[in-house]
Amino acid sequence: MSGTSAARVTAAVKVYGSGDTEVRALDGVTLGFTAGRFTAIMGPSGSGKSTLMHCAAGLDTLTSGEAHIGGTELGSLGDKKLTLLRRERVGFVFQAFNLLPTLTVAENITLPQDLAGGSPDREWTDALIDVVGLRDRLHHRPAELSGGQQQRVAVARAFAGRPEVVFADEPTGNLDSRSGEEVLGLLGRAVRQMGRTVVMVTHDPVAAAHADEVVFLADGRLAGRMEEPTAERVLDRLKSYDRAGAVT
Amino acid sequence: MSADGSARTALRISFASLRTHKRRFAGTFSAVLLGVSFLAGTLVMGDTLRASFDSMFGNATSGTDAVVRSESAITTSDDAMGTRSPLRVDKSLKAVRATEGVAATEPSVEGSGQLVGSDGEPVGGEGPPTTAGNWIADSRLNPYELAEGHAPRAHGEVVINRGAAETGKLKVGDTITLRTPDPLKVRIVGLATFGGEDGMAETTFTGMTRADAEKYLMPETGMAASLRVRADDGVSQQQLADRLEPALPGGVEAITGDQAADENLENLSGQFLTLFTSLLLVFSGVALLVAIFSIHNTFAIVVAQRTRENALLRALGASRRQVLGTTLTEATVVGAVASAVGLGVGIGIAAGLQALFPAIGFPFPEGSLVISSLSMLLPLAVGVVVCLASALLPAVRAGRTAPLAALRETAAETTRVSRARALTGVLLGAGGIALAAVGAASGTRSVPLTATGAVAVLAAFIVLGPVASSFAVRVLGAPVATARGLTGVLARRNALRSPKRTAATATALMIGVAVVSLFTVFASSLKATMDETVARNFAGDVAVSTPGFGGGGSGLSPRLGPAVQKLPEVETSLGLGQGVARIDGTGQELTVTDPAKLPRVMNLGKVDGSLARLGGDGIAVSGTRAQEHGWKPGSTARLAFTDGKEKTFTVRAVFETGELTGDYVVTHEAWDPHRSQNADRLLSVAFKEGVSQEKGEAAVAAVAERYGKPDVQTREEYAQSAAGGIDMMLTLVYALLALAVLIALLGIANTLTLALHERTRELGLLRSVGQTRAQLRAMVRWESVLIAAFGTAGGLGLGGFLGWALVRATDSRGMSVLNLPPLQLTVVALVGVAAGLAAGWRPARRAARLDLLRAIATE
Repeated sequence: MSGTSAARVTAAVKVYGSGDTEVRALDGVTLGFTAGRFTAIMGPSGSGKSTLMHCAAGLDTLTSGEAHIGGTELGSLGDKKLTLLRRERVGFVFQAFNLLPTLTVAENITLPQDLAGGSPDREWTDALIDVVGLRDRLHHRPAELSGGQQQRVAVARAFAGRPEVVFADEPTGNLDSRSGEEVLGLLGRAVRQMGRTVVMVTHDPVAAAHADEVVFLADGRLAGRMEEPTAERVLDRLKSYDRAGAVT
Repeated sequence: MSADGSARTALRISFASLRTHKRRFAGTFSAVLLGVSFLAGTLVMGDTLRASFDSMFGNATSGTDAVVRSESAITTSDDAMGTRSPLRVDKSLKAVRATEGVAATEPSVEGSGQLVGSDGEPVGGEGPPTTAGNWIADSRLNPYELAEGHAPRAHGEVVINRGAAETGKLKVGDTITLRTPDPLKVRIVGLATFGGEDGMAETTFTGMTRADAEKYLMPETGMAASLRVRADDGVSQQQLADRLEPALPGGVEAITGDQAADENLENLSGQFLTLFTSLLLVFSGVALLVAIFSIHNTFAIVVAQRTRENALLRALGASRRQVLGTTLTEATVVGAVASAVGLGVGIGIAAGLQALFPAIGFPFPEGSLVISSLSMLLPLAVGVVVCLASALLPAVRAGRTAPLAALRETAAETTRVSRARALTGVLLGAGGIALAAVGAASGTRSVPLTATGAVAVLAAFIVLGPVASSFAVRVLGAPVATARGLTGVLARRNALRSPKRTAATATALMIGVAVVSLFTVFASSLKATMDETVARNFAGDVAVSTPGFGGGGSGLSPRLGPAVQKLPEVETSLGLGQGVARIDGTGQELTVTDPAKLPRVMNLGKVDGSLARLGGDGIAVSGTRAQEHGWKPGSTARLAFTDGKEKTFTVRAVFETGELTGDYVVTHEAWDPHRSQNADRLLSVAFKEGVSQEKGEAAVAAVAERYGKPDVQTREEYAQSAAGGIDMMLTLVYALLALAVLIALLGIANTLTLALHERTRELGLLRSVGQTRAQLRAMVRWESVLIAAFGTAGGLGLGGFLGWALVRATDSRGMSVLNLPPLQLTVVALVGVAAGLAAGWRPARRAARLDLLRAIATE
């Protein structure tokens, strides 16, 4: 692994519930997401991949261990500081419901900057709008867009504030394969052409193949990594985990 | 499925839904509860008051079996009880004593007497009457019982009721002034109770020796208001009255003691209880009306949110009727439970008020609460019906849910506002305004027309709500969006999302605010009208009068006017007294004064004829009355007085404005033979040229001091005090309407909570992309404020219009002034907006505490 980590977790443990109902969603994961790279997190359902993303992004707090965005340790931050950190240093793309129905496309894109009360970087957002190809839709409401268009707006929003890292949680989960391709293409281009950092949680080997590297999680632990993934190799690896899981 | 089984299924689904969504119905529950408890409290309190007064009067007058009094009474539009002339005691007394079956009889002298405390402040008199009379020695004939000290034996000794003593901080042995209205130094020698209470409600009573009472309260000695008669054992009240009747001299009648007590009670309850309870009932009505909107809104939202659930039920084979039944059952259960609790709370309120009222000096006799079956059943029925009626439309909508709706993505209400609605609203509004305007222009006779117009306008406001809300929120929200940036923009857009919902939420507040501003405008217009009337009519420099609103006060000593006239500063000092006569068949109030001097202290406008020589058989009338009767100087009118005498008067003058002077003016020469207690109601004083206001006022005040210290006021002060009762009324109105605003507030809070629940994922998104908790709270509160501001603005508009209509409708002379008091209306507006802020508080806090991960979790 080379380069600095845009985000990382160290000995991350996340426990839900207690006693009989205790679930260890993360069980000592140490992992860095290299700046300027596109990383996919994969694993079967319940492997802890979403929890890992939530904790690394400051949406949730770890039971023990540390999470960093750049040089900032998240565990010591209160709700207010975490919120500001998400607003200024992190971008998000969720599976669905990424946009506020009352705001126009343009307003949705600059939402984090508007929340901060600052003025958005016009040139940069302009460039983004062209990249996602939504110039003629700027004054539409989300309800007037297709699902794929909505996700493209979400991608533009995620990068609008030039965050240190963008987390995408199953960004193509609700899309047909063509729209999904478009969104994944955008994420990839943002990394390779604009030097951004993207961490994506997915269960789709085809989506994972767009990443520079795939990180596999199983039962809350780091199960392996794969550089320059292809869909077939990812699928094979997943099958091996499933088999291993079935044996134990 | 059998009918029975299907009903049971609907019921089971209803209960399951109620259990699951307790929170959603909290607002509905509270709204019904508040309205019902207010209604129940009012009914119980009214019954209890009535019963208490009943038993109090029963106790007090149980010893009097018959009352002998003058036959004829003259009633005027202001005094339904009427004025009855006193009777000559000797002849009647002789006749009564000679009647078989009479055990005892005593004359009862009745008049008014205002006690003035040692500090110069009048005791009581701010509404309830201040009475005076002779202390009746026969304890069973005397409604008052001696509680302390002894009966008055010598000149100047009095017994007063214990309530008056407490109010004025007086005790046995004190020497104080009694205005009869001639000031009289009296020494308190005893305290009395009335039917076991400290007094007859807040009425004050002063009992004197019979000689004193006759001297000060009757036109001449040997007269009394009535004779009280007690029967021998075995003689019934009716028998006694029947035996007395033929023995009495002409013009004198006998009635039973029960009848006399009923008349007294009716007089008291007619003036006070009926007004009090009907006022409270009106407010329960307003509260319930407001509740209807809150409840309707809750059900509308719940049904909209449940579209998928209902569609699923329909897809699985539930009939329309079953889905409709489910919602209606929910409404019934909520309504019944809330009404039952509300009933309990209402009875508690009545009990609390019973304990509280005496502490704030309001009469509420002790005794157990009277809870009639009507005051149990009515609030329960009203609560359930209100709930059912409010839920009916949403329930029908729920029943119409298409099974396919389960498959559609959106679950929210339709937000389109139909053109038909806008058209209906505009037509209703225009029609209403036109009706009201026509009604207002044609004066008091067309009150029904104005009222219909007002109701139509109210309906138009409700119908147009959704149309107006988008516009209003856009306008009102613009400054918020500018000032608060994205938070303001989001708040504004959220309020704009569902115009129907925003309007329905705001309507509850609108009605509350409308009623408040209606009363504010009406009261302030009354005051302004009074100001104008005084300015137009009063030509003097100071007015002397006794304070008192309604029937209180005892008037001015007739000797005060001449005494003030002697002052070197004074040009003219003229007392205006009051009389009563039946003129051409209807009872009218007379102004008794020196008409020749009248134009010097009162503006009468143009005078046709001469005021100088009215004499003993002349009358001056206002232009309005002259026109009604077709009188001109030289016409004649037949006047009948309380003593039964009739006389033909000649109209010698017709004057233009009589608002303050009165419509009929006669001389003392004409009135005095028929009068009872002699008093002036107003003394108007004009200073000589060059006398400063301060100097003149001080001189008049110094003289007034010797005559029981009535108020010496400038024109402005006089106008204000004449309207003084209005503020008191208004305070009560505000206090009661706080309830309506509270219910409206609950409605807003409830709608917001439900809306925020719908927007959980949006809130989660906002929080995850960097909205701080403070920003989220501010966003919700601003939305709430915007809804409230819309409701308040609508309420102010509606209230202003209704105020105008009311002022015009009650204006008999076409002289009323419409006054929109900027300060009070600003306060009302601020309270409305503050209510919005308060309503948004809890939903905002709850929304800010939202679990982020749950909110963004996909289904």
